[in-house]
Amino acid sequence: MRTFTLTLALLALAPVAQAKQITAWVIDGQSERPYFIQLEKAFNAAYSSKGITVKVTPIPNINDALKAGFLSKKLPDVVMIDGPNMANYVWSGQLSPLDAYLDKAMLSDLLPAIRAQGTYSPDGKMYSISPYDSTVLLWGNRKYLQQAGVRIPKTVKDAWTLTEFQDALSKLSKVKGVTWPLDLKLNYSGEWLSFGFAPFLQSCGADLINRKTWQATGALNSAASVKILTTLQDWKKKNWIVPQSGGDNRFYGDKSAALVWVGNWMWRDHKAGLGKDLVLIPAPKFCGNKQASPNGGWSWAMPQSSVSKQEAGTFINFAMSTRQVAQYADITGYIPSRKSATPLSKVYGKGGEGELMAEQAGSIAVVRPVHPAYPVISKSFGDAVLNILNGANVKAELDKAAGAIDRDIASNKGYPPFNKSR
Amino acid sequence: MHTSSPPVRSAQTKPKPRHRQSLTEELLLLLPATLLLLCFLVVPFVLSIYLSFTDQRLVPNPVPTDFVGFQNYQQVLSDPAFWQAFRNTVYFALLVVPFQCAVSLGIAVLLNSSFPLRSFFRSVAILPLMTPITVTIVIWAAFYRIPDGLFNNVIKAFGAEGYVDWLGSPLWAMPALVLLSAWATFPFQMLLYLAGLQDIPSERYEAARMDGASAWQQFRYVTFPGLRNTNILILITTTIQAFKLFTQVDILTRGGPVGATNTLVRYMIQQGYVSQLVGFGSAVAVIFVVIVGSLAILQRVLVKNE
Repeated sequence: MRTFTLTLALLALAPVAQAKQITAWVIDGQSERPYFIQLEKAFNAAYSSKGITVKVTPIPNINDALKAGFLSKKLPDVVMIDGPNMANYVWSGQLSPLDAYLDKAMLSDLLPAIRAQGTYSPDGKMYSISPYDSTVLLWGNRKYLQQAGVRIPKTVKDAWTLTEFQDALSKLSKVKGVTWPLDLKLNYSGEWLSFGFAPFLQSCGADLINRKTWQATGALNSAASVKILTTLQDWKKKNWIVPQSGGDNRFYGDKSAALVWVGNWMWRDHKAGLGKDLVLIPAPKFCGNKQASPNGGWSWAMPQSSVSKQEAGTFINFAMSTRQVAQYADITGYIPSRKSATPLSKVYGKGGEGELMAEQAGSIAVVRPVHPAYPVISKSFGDAVLNILNGANVKAELDKAAGAIDRDIASNKGYPPFNKSR
Repeated sequence: MHTSSPPVRSAQTKPKPRHRQSLTEELLLLLPATLLLLCFLVVPFVLSIYLSFTDQRLVPNPVPTDFVGFQNYQQVLSDPAFWQAFRNTVYFALLVVPFQCAVSLGIAVLLNSSFPLRSFFRSVAILPLMTPITVTIVIWAAFYRIPDGLFNNVIKAFGAEGYVDWLGSPLWAMPALVLLSAWATFPFQMLLYLAGLQDIPSERYEAARMDGASAWQQFRYVTFPGLRNTNILILITTTIQAFKLFTQVDILTRGGPVGATNTLVRYMIQQGYVSQLVGFGSAVAVIFVVIVGSLAILQRVLVKNE
């Protein structure tokens, strides 16, 4: 009886099974989940008649799953990868180029830094494409700022200079209720310490690595880097910065921090915690007149091992349509990665509360180094940042980080063909 | 099993094939455990010895893997961060082993005496062991929080000004981890001590009491010598456990401040997994096994059991 029912069930499913089903691994996050359910439904509604369906599976700890998948060669047709890891995966021969499957109009509509994030320099092809962008800026507590009598800049152009920023911190530290004027999210681990602190170097003319010679020594440990990170260390010594063990909610919870340097993903928590008191302040001009903000995020990519590349490409192209990109932004709170999707968004469009974030993403975003050594670059710089803010010698830490990066590049024989660009 | 059987029986039955049959049976019974040990302990260890002489990377890549001889070992042993992690691990073990053993012994002695609701308190004492370590860590993170965690409120109640950043200070971070680790895992040692205590014949206590020994003297001259073998076992397992310190550090301090709580295992994982240097990480693993193995042998030689 049981076998009979099973056979019947299989027979009933047979016509569906004839349609080509592709699988996609996506990130597993609370704010993303409703979007992916929507995406799966929308794609299947549009394409099941053309013989393609998709199954979208959220994967917890997707980075680990991907590493294991690359080793065992068991991967689905579409995956989401973290943007800065693209070069490492492509260099290792794990990903297929996407150019042949993507609309030309869509490519020219992408934010420039998102395009840069997905483009692999040795062959100029696009290997990953992100439906959203991210940015980091200062969020302030209006009440404290007004009590301190600090000017609140409104656009990217009239951002604070370093002197103004320093003066604001000094004044804020004396306001009643403020234990720490600034939260730099030292409670975060991993990528944040590199993502969130690279702009300090980049707006001072330094960088994590020289993007022409691909050498860290001379860029990461340059005089400009040492100078700006010494300034940060001084602030820490003055007890202006929330320490690592201070927890996550000093700015939006008990409000003992007056400013926080963090990305757009905190939008909801900040809004709920501060309401009308929340102000967005553009990334400061840490040196002279230059500004920088980090960008990028999880992107669609196609493993080399995929057997249904054409169908997978169709799916990625669909997920990158203006409508889907706008949906992603509305549901998750991230910045749309297509210029044409921004006006559709309530938050990021003209006059929206997050307009400043979209402005930053379109004007001062600096892509993370698109190089196969990125995992080591990020880890080495992140370790150095944490040590420096905990009081270690700035120059020695940066020398150590630059040395570790250059050693890794050397031990991979320059990551050919990246060594050709020297 | 292999004692010679009486001659009468051997004449009646055929001892040789029986013996052979039981041997195959024994081997068959050993097979599952042997296979598992081979797959999950021996093969990985042999592999890591092999990998430690290569420049193997985590993700497969176009640059072929090469033999590099002792280069990984040279780099590990000349890396100040490795030695810092080594010193920290030894420091942690020196703090945690005596402390944790003393606490477990004390509680075991308490729980071994008779008092109402004894089994209830015994079950309660095992709770930390049943709680996943990550959960324990998150709760303790709240205790150590600044400026308003439990410990800071306690020192405030005693009149301290300001707060102590327990996990953020090079002085306090390690003792803070010791306290948390001891609390999270002491029931294991306590259970062993409880079993050991129950093995001590009650006649010895009676005799000691008749000789007029005080409670302390009973503990010193009856209980403690009676626990000799238990102590050796506990000393070795606790030391090995201490050397494997990772989760607490990785979640709470990430090896900071400035590497003050980095441990050998965390160093190995950072190099082998995060930086994707599998060859280098394997060399650290081999060195780690050598250190822990020789420590266990050394302890075994120094304190021989009866």
